Amino acid sequence: MLGAYITLTMMTALGVHYVISIIVSIFVVGVVSVLLERLVFFPLREAPPIQDKVAAIGILLFLEALAQLIWGPHYLQMSTPFNQVIAIGGLTITLQRIIIVITAVTVMILLWLFLKKTYMGASIMAMAQNRDGASLVGINTNKVAMITFFIAGGLAAIGASLTSPINLVFPGMGHLVILKAFVIIILGGMGSVPGAILGGYILGFTEAIGATYISNDYKDIIAFVLLVIILTFKPQGIFAREESK
Amino acid sequence: MLKLDNVTVKYGKYAAIRDVSLTVEKGEIVVLLGANGAGKTTTFRTISGLNQLAGGKIIFEDLEIHRKSPNKIVEMGIVHCAEDRKLFPQMSVQENLNLGGYVHRKNKQQIKNSMKEVYDLFPILYEKRDDPAGSLSGGQQQMLAIGRALMAKPKLMLLDEPSIGLAPLIVEQMFESIQQINKEGTTILLAEQNANAALSIANRGYVYENGKIVVQGSSQELFENEEVRKAYIGA
Repeated sequence: MLGAYITLTMMTALGVHYVISIIVSIFVVGVVSVLLERLVFFPLREAPPIQDKVAAIGILLFLEALAQLIWGPHYLQMSTPFNQVIAIGGLTITLQRIIIVITAVTVMILLWLFLKKTYMGASIMAMAQNRDGASLVGINTNKVAMITFFIAGGLAAIGASLTSPINLVFPGMGHLVILKAFVIIILGGMGSVPGAILGGYILGFTEAIGATYISNDYKDIIAFVLLVIILTFKPQGIFAREESK
Repeated sequence: MLKLDNVTVKYGKYAAIRDVSLTVEKGEIVVLLGANGAGKTTTFRTISGLNQLAGGKIIFEDLEIHRKSPNKIVEMGIVHCAEDRKLFPQMSVQENLNLGGYVHRKNKQQIKNSMKEVYDLFPILYEKRDDPAGSLSGGQQQMLAIGRALMAKPKLMLLDEPSIGLAPLIVEQMFESIQQINKEGTTILLAEQNANAALSIANRGYVYENGKIVVQGSSQELFENEEVRKAYIGA
């Protein structure tokens, strides 16, 4: 949400190109995330995990109210230089949508390689699994926490900025995304990149098929019906076992 | 090599250790004996920077280290092998060892060599190298914890209760491995409840009671000390 507003403001107020606006937005949201880590999550590092989550919801409400104060509650539209329509076979699709798909896949692969193949990625995983253990092998946990938040913020900015031209920009634009991300995490298992990808595709296809065969009006409900069903029968998540290999 | 000078550590108002002074010389095995809650683990956590001290000084190779962060202390050459092992349970044995060499991450060849040394010391870890750490047995997890600590090439290794929860036969192997690590040049500070086994490999020892050191001496002296025998050896 913040990422989308920053990209939009760069484009409308300063006339900066879409792509450059996104890059600036990645940095700004990344830095905001790092500040939030220092101000909110760092003091809570010894607290029970539920307090982090409550704090995160607090930040969400705060940022939304802030966005409403600065940019107002209206729906805003983001233009894109990539609105050409491309026809492949019998399919017509806008260039923007193709860019979203390609960027999403690229970012996923890069993130996965980063986590699996680099020491920095490994130290992020290590810290998630045992913070004291990470300290004891010599990982600077403060630095890693800040880098993790920067990456998280940057990724959020990319996602928001890319999807804004096909949706709309408004303070509550992230709600549906967050809830769907929650469904995907439950499907794919916490902390598993392949699980998240698989979960994402399952949700996407279920929605698309539901929209076609049941009704487009029920599209967004399908995610939450899935959520209720999964939490009822497999509260630990569908792929949680296999993915903890 | 390592010197604690009147170290006091508090959890809130409660002093977990009071005025603890001890020294470890290069090449030694020094053991800390004492019951649960006597302050051994707190001492270790304080040396490695996980706990802050309320008073006193910790000096390692002529430098004060008690205000340094845990990662700096590891870089200086003190590695803490915790009682609850603090492994990364969802990562494989190999990934755990790799992270153990984190402070030497720029030197790929050294990490490779260290890993080979660890596998030579504990061959079972090589067999299980692709298994997640969380799936190992207690003894194997302890070996992995020690192996991970060795990957950092420590000058001083803090070993907190390596025998806890292990079968007697494994305990014996564990102490043999510790002796071997010491022979290869790593100084060891060991906390143990298994006084008999610990004193048989240690040079000197300190006995903790309620957060204070009450007796100290060479292994022989402690072994012959009537009170120590009664309290920790049981004969």
